[in-house]
Amino acid sequence: MDFQFGEKEEQFRLEIREFVKENLPKGFIGNMFEEEHTDENWAFAMSIAQKLAKKKWLTISWPKEYGGMGASTWQKVVFAQEAGYWGIPGIGMGVSGTAWVGPSLMLFGTKEQQEKYIPLIAAGDPDGVWCTGYSEPDSGSDLASLQTTAKRVGDNYIINGQKVWTSCAHKARYIWLACRTQQNTEKKHQGLSLIIVDMKSKGLTLNPLKNFMGGHVFNELFFDDVKVPVENLVGVENNGWSQLMTALSFERGLALSAGGACVRILDELVEYAKETDRIDDPFVRQSLADLAIDIETLQILSFESAWKEDQKKIVIYEPSRDKALCDQLLEKVSRVGSDILGVYSQMDIMNKDPRWSKLKGSVEHVYYYCIGLAIAAGTTDTQRNIIANFGLQLPRSY
Amino acid sequence: MDFSLGVEQKLIQKSVREFFTKECPKDKVRELKETKSGFDSKMWKKLVKLGYLGLIFPEEYGGTEGEFLDLMIFMEELGRNITPCPFFTTVALCGIPIVKFGTDEQKKAILPKIIEKGHIWTLAQTEKKANNYSNEIELTADLSGDNYVLNGTKLFVPFANSAKQILVVARTQKGKDANHGITLFMVDAKTKGINIEVIPTAAKDCRCEIVFKDVKVPKENILGTKDKGWEIVDYIFQQASVLKAAEMSGGCQAVFDIIVNYTKERKQFNRSIASFQAIQHRLVDFMGRIEGLKFLVRKAACEISTGNSSARLNSMAKASANKIYHDLCYHSIVLHGAIGWTEEMDIGLYHLRTRSLLFDMGDVHFHKEKIADELQFHSPAFKEVYS
Repeated sequence: MDFQFGEKEEQFRLEIREFVKENLPKGFIGNMFEEEHTDENWAFAMSIAQKLAKKKWLTISWPKEYGGMGASTWQKVVFAQEAGYWGIPGIGMGVSGTAWVGPSLMLFGTKEQQEKYIPLIAAGDPDGVWCTGYSEPDSGSDLASLQTTAKRVGDNYIINGQKVWTSCAHKARYIWLACRTQQNTEKKHQGLSLIIVDMKSKGLTLNPLKNFMGGHVFNELFFDDVKVPVENLVGVENNGWSQLMTALSFERGLALSAGGACVRILDELVEYAKETDRIDDPFVRQSLADLAIDIETLQILSFESAWKEDQKKIVIYEPSRDKALCDQLLEKVSRVGSDILGVYSQMDIMNKDPRWSKLKGSVEHVYYYCIGLAIAAGTTDTQRNIIANFGLQLPRSY
Repeated sequence: MDFSLGVEQKLIQKSVREFFTKECPKDKVRELKETKSGFDSKMWKKLVKLGYLGLIFPEEYGGTEGEFLDLMIFMEELGRNITPCPFFTTVALCGIPIVKFGTDEQKKAILPKIIEKGHIWTLAQTEKKANNYSNEIELTADLSGDNYVLNGTKLFVPFANSAKQILVVARTQKGKDANHGITLFMVDAKTKGINIEVIPTAAKDCRCEIVFKDVKVPKENILGTKDKGWEIVDYIFQQASVLKAAEMSGGCQAVFDIIVNYTKERKQFNRSIASFQAIQHRLVDFMGRIEGLKFLVRKAACEISTGNSSARLNSMAKASANKIYHDLCYHSIVLHGAIGWTEEMDIGLYHLRTRSLLFDMGDVHFHKEKIADELQFHSPAFKEVYS
């Protein structure tokens, strides 16, 4: 047993911190899903993306032949942790560019698709920004029931339907779209396909959906006879579900970077408590310690998942376990943080004023955004269902 | 990073599990509650014969010089089986500090007797304040000729009624700093003036009151340095917290197995109750917490093994164990329904130990305070990078 990072990884950590020092404003705290709120935030995030691209860190987990860094599991872990801690913006290339569009294209894409899309993502190019079209108004947790159709007509697909809660669609050049290419299949998982759609396509309408804090993350998309060339089909027609599941499995760094972000907020809260003398309050001390335990626990578990993947062991329920714990931890971070900030925890996150917003508004941000994260990529309860089924082998409950 | 157990630990895990399953089945655990000594002396002799008492002690005193991790795995298995025996008090609370702070002479005299003869030791620390801080130590030890004379009362001392020797935390000096003036004495349990009474605890796990009345202890029986005993107590706490947490982690794993199996088997409304989401989600949340606890304890133990003992992690391990053990026992019994509330089921045996396990080596508030101390004096990365 060994729970320490190697020297190589610690060296890499220092390199990342050097990058942070050079490229982020002093004291910067990056918040999750904040970069797409405003044009100003977005421009900054993209400028960082391009700098990360130069270092190959943007595509750290990709193989070298596709423009990635070909990093080891533990380098990836360190990067995810640090990215979370420092809130390094611009690392996603939209919601999905680096996380699953690139890796999926490497597995299922044609040579032409690989050559056309992959370099744009790896370079941090605005045309390498992607959103993902999975959820629909009537297909949330029950994703396989989705109804958006793509009908083959000659050399084109004609797409009709509606997607919703589409994060970052207003910044994306392309959408990674899950749709139905075959009707009346025996099972709902059959007859689905993944298709690449240019966001500039005719017949595609975007409607922003602001969240209740005033932030712009979500959108709804309407597809009205959108014509897409057949070469935009990814992989095998009607085999979309298994490709989609593979793609989802690429998205496993979330708990690692969220863990890093939690450590940062804890560090900031401890400093804040020291500066305001609240550190002497036994309640504050107990709350901070309690938080520290849960953060350490989540980190260890997310390292364990990484270790299993590194050992080529089959990882089944672990990412769901980490996600469920992560959802709960973020909520707790925000609650403990808010209790410590007291009256200052009520600030508007859309208009951060240094006079009023403590810790750059990061606690208030997590307070509202942890809710979104508990819903995204499978709600906490959906994760619990998965763990019950596949981790504990309990009968399916739904 | 490597989350797997080493060859040595796997072997210990397997053999200890087999040993306890065979030598101390749950009916035996039930029977032992009703006995005076609270443990099975025949099983104890077998443990000694197999060399487990010397698991991590130096070879020169008859031990096998294993790693701390080996001991942690042993404790996981002991907790999994809730085997009542004075292993923890002898090895963790007394043997470990004797190895570290004893003179060569003391070690030669004591350790082989523990390892080869199974001499039972225990630590007498708790007094009426029972807060695990140095200000609770009021039992006095005054020098008189070549002896110290001990007067006072110790509480909840585990297995004192069976102990050959007691390591007593006493006050040799009273001043402003409560940490100063504490001295540890190794006292023969048969010394005149010692009166031991078993306290009626729920688990019937032989927690004793010891009254010391003019008990004479030769001055060479001091462990470590006079007045600097609190340092030793802290040393004991650091390691024993992790070992107690390991015991609890093993207990949690066992309780979890019991409840998962039970809910799978139990049928109502023509289906297994494990198919209900309300039950599944509770089980799933516990699984995450128990796996987290297991690795937290193992990480803390691993750092001790490599000589990088971390006070923060040690306290996290015990606090985390405390947070989970009660919740898990409570919910697992409730999930059983009425049958869980009967003495027929093993699960109650685990819950009877909850309160003593939670108090041993510090309750959750005690450890969170220690963690807060560490947080307060730690310099965060952002301050360094953005300085």
